[in-house]
Amino acid sequence: MKRRKFLILGSVFGLSSSLISKDNNIVFSESLKRIEKTIASVQQHLFPEGSQIPSAQSMNATQFLLETITHPTYDKDIRTFVIEGAEELERREKGKFTFLSEVEKEQALRAYEETSYGSSWLGRIMTLTMEGMFSDPVYGANVKEEGWKSLHAYGGLPRPTTRYIKL
Amino acid sequence: MKYDAVIVGSGASGGAVAYTLCKAGYKVVVLEKGRLIKREEFSKDELAYCRRDIVTPNLFDEYHTIEEKVDGKWVATPTYESGWSFWNGNIIGGSSNFMSGMLHRMHPDDFRLKSKYGEIKGANVVDWPISYDDLEPYYALAEELVGISGYYEKYPYEPPRSTKNFTQPPTKENAVVKLIDKSCKALGIKSLVTPRAVLSKDKGDRHACYYSNFCGSYGCSSGAKGSSREALLKPALATGNLTLMSNTHVKYLHAGEKDEVEYAVVVDTITGKEKKIYGNIFIVAAQAHESARLLLNSANKYHPHGLANSSGELGKNLIFSAGGSGQGELHKESLKHIQFEDLMRTGLFVNRSILDWYFIDHWWDGKFKGGSVEFMFEHQNIISRARKNNEENGKLVWGKALGEKLVKRFTQSKSIRFEIFNDWLPNDNCFVTLDKKHKDKYGMPVGKLRLEAHPHDIKVGKYIAKKCEKVLEEMGAENIYSDVSSVPPQNLIAGGCRFGDDPKTSVLNKYCQSHDIPNLFVADASFMPTGGSVPYTWTIYANALRVAEHIVQILQKKPLL
Repeated sequence: MKRRKFLILGSVFGLSSSLISKDNNIVFSESLKRIEKTIASVQQHLFPEGSQIPSAQSMNATQFLLETITHPTYDKDIRTFVIEGAEELERREKGKFTFLSEVEKEQALRAYEETSYGSSWLGRIMTLTMEGMFSDPVYGANVKEEGWKSLHAYGGLPRPTTRYIKL
Repeated sequence: MKYDAVIVGSGASGGAVAYTLCKAGYKVVVLEKGRLIKREEFSKDELAYCRRDIVTPNLFDEYHTIEEKVDGKWVATPTYESGWSFWNGNIIGGSSNFMSGMLHRMHPDDFRLKSKYGEIKGANVVDWPISYDDLEPYYALAEELVGISGYYEKYPYEPPRSTKNFTQPPTKENAVVKLIDKSCKALGIKSLVTPRAVLSKDKGDRHACYYSNFCGSYGCSSGAKGSSREALLKPALATGNLTLMSNTHVKYLHAGEKDEVEYAVVVDTITGKEKKIYGNIFIVAAQAHESARLLLNSANKYHPHGLANSSGELGKNLIFSAGGSGQGELHKESLKHIQFEDLMRTGLFVNRSILDWYFIDHWWDGKFKGGSVEFMFEHQNIISRARKNNEENGKLVWGKALGEKLVKRFTQSKSIRFEIFNDWLPNDNCFVTLDKKHKDKYGMPVGKLRLEAHPHDIKVGKYIAKKCEKVLEEMGAENIYSDVSSVPPQNLIAGGCRFGDDPKTSVLNKYCQSHDIPNLFVADASFMPTGGSVPYTWTIYANALRVAEHIVQILQKKPLL
């Protein structure tokens, strides 16, 4: 059974009213800009260079994530959660997460994972990164099918020619 | 315009009724709230089809509330909160577009469960008003029309057939079936070829399966899968008698003083405009929980408790398929009897099932109704397989360790899975009503589903799961586990409009015609008082063909009313 666990667990600060109530594009684009580097940095830590699967950076995983969570097909509560979870990480690390060394990042993320909220958020970032890396290249993040090639697993035919069935 | 027949829903049953009536020369309209996706428009887009609500309604627009017992109290949760969608493919052809197509006929004893096995305390088991013999010709007809491939072997638990064998031979099979057969044989178990609603040979303009590796959960791009859209609606359209209205949501049916449905009130899901659709006969085929909801939502001053509800039974005795599933990994280094390369070949089917535990009659275990088992590979979706392998001891695995783990998992092993189907015993705590608070975006009360399984179901499921685990062990699988629980599979839903001979205890008569309103039929799985121990789809196709034949007879005697 699927459950939006984070809704049950609740955000540590509650879902911020500006994001929930207005759902307006300006608020969102500002929030997205603010957290973009943090998310990119987390994705790159989870999917680094030199792994048997491609790195987040080489697959444009952050762009995919931002395009995905702002698409109408994406759950708006989870979109808010993705943004707030990044803000919470930065609060924990005093706004310096992206400047930490790899060892410090590992410590910071493992400590964040100890909280149920942080664990849920990291799981979500991982899912969003895998969705890009292993979905059809039409979505922009399985560059040259490198994600599929690394696992020797390929999407079926016919491939989509548009994203989200032309939605 | 007044149609001879108005059908609500374009899935397996709606398609079967439309096909029969159009072929007989009647003017039919099918109302489907989803859009049309044509054969050539389908793709194997995991993100779109399997990970987003694109072929089902957005849960913030249309949803259900689900009542479950928490600490002894019934708690209702809207599905937009839980994410637990009870929609199963809302496009032309319905969820039959997305089925895996493993089909079985019900066994003759499934039609007389109460007489055969007696009452079970807390379960509302009754015999069906028809027998297997009544339905058999329609199972045969569905097999031919839908294009079910398979191979029949006479076996005690295989229902008898009026035709010798399948006209479509089985689809091509992965070498793992040799391992399954060998292992079953070693354990004294009979493995049988699973009938599948997938063509192995061309049939008219439908092409044989091209083994894409992504069948279940996806639309078919060759027309091989026997969906309502391919097998029934397209030939129905070819008669010139079918009007297919997509993006048309039915809010309610109107029946006046005369105990007759006069029209359906529908809304165009794109423009929001409402209109009335008139007909002589109305056939509801919206999937069990939604069909009951529609009839309840059709209450008015003449029918204050909803249509077809003089018995008070409407929405009650909703059933699912009980059981569960299990899995084990076949590893390169420990694989026996078959080549690893053959195991890893993609696209080919695992057409194997076990019916040995359909009825248990054992000196020690006792005598009770069991269930059927299907074997299959773990679904080949890449994103979902990757996600399932990103944890260890409750912690996420990331970094280089994740890369290593995923590559090993994808290239050095393959998971084989079993699914168990046993009876979900109908009971007083499994039903659908209207939610008093929540409404969908069209302003109509949503369906509230109370869900509780009878403890017996779990006992049976676990009994069979243990046997299946032994088969996986014999196959040499590792990390074997099974999961049998009381969580209902939302894609295997039936009941809510029981058929029966007594109008006081059933909603429909044996032709799935309302006892109260003669021009109203319910053709989907709602009629089933008990569900058998196999997936419903073949029975839904067969029964809808049977019901449609009866409707033709009624229409031939016009004027009906």
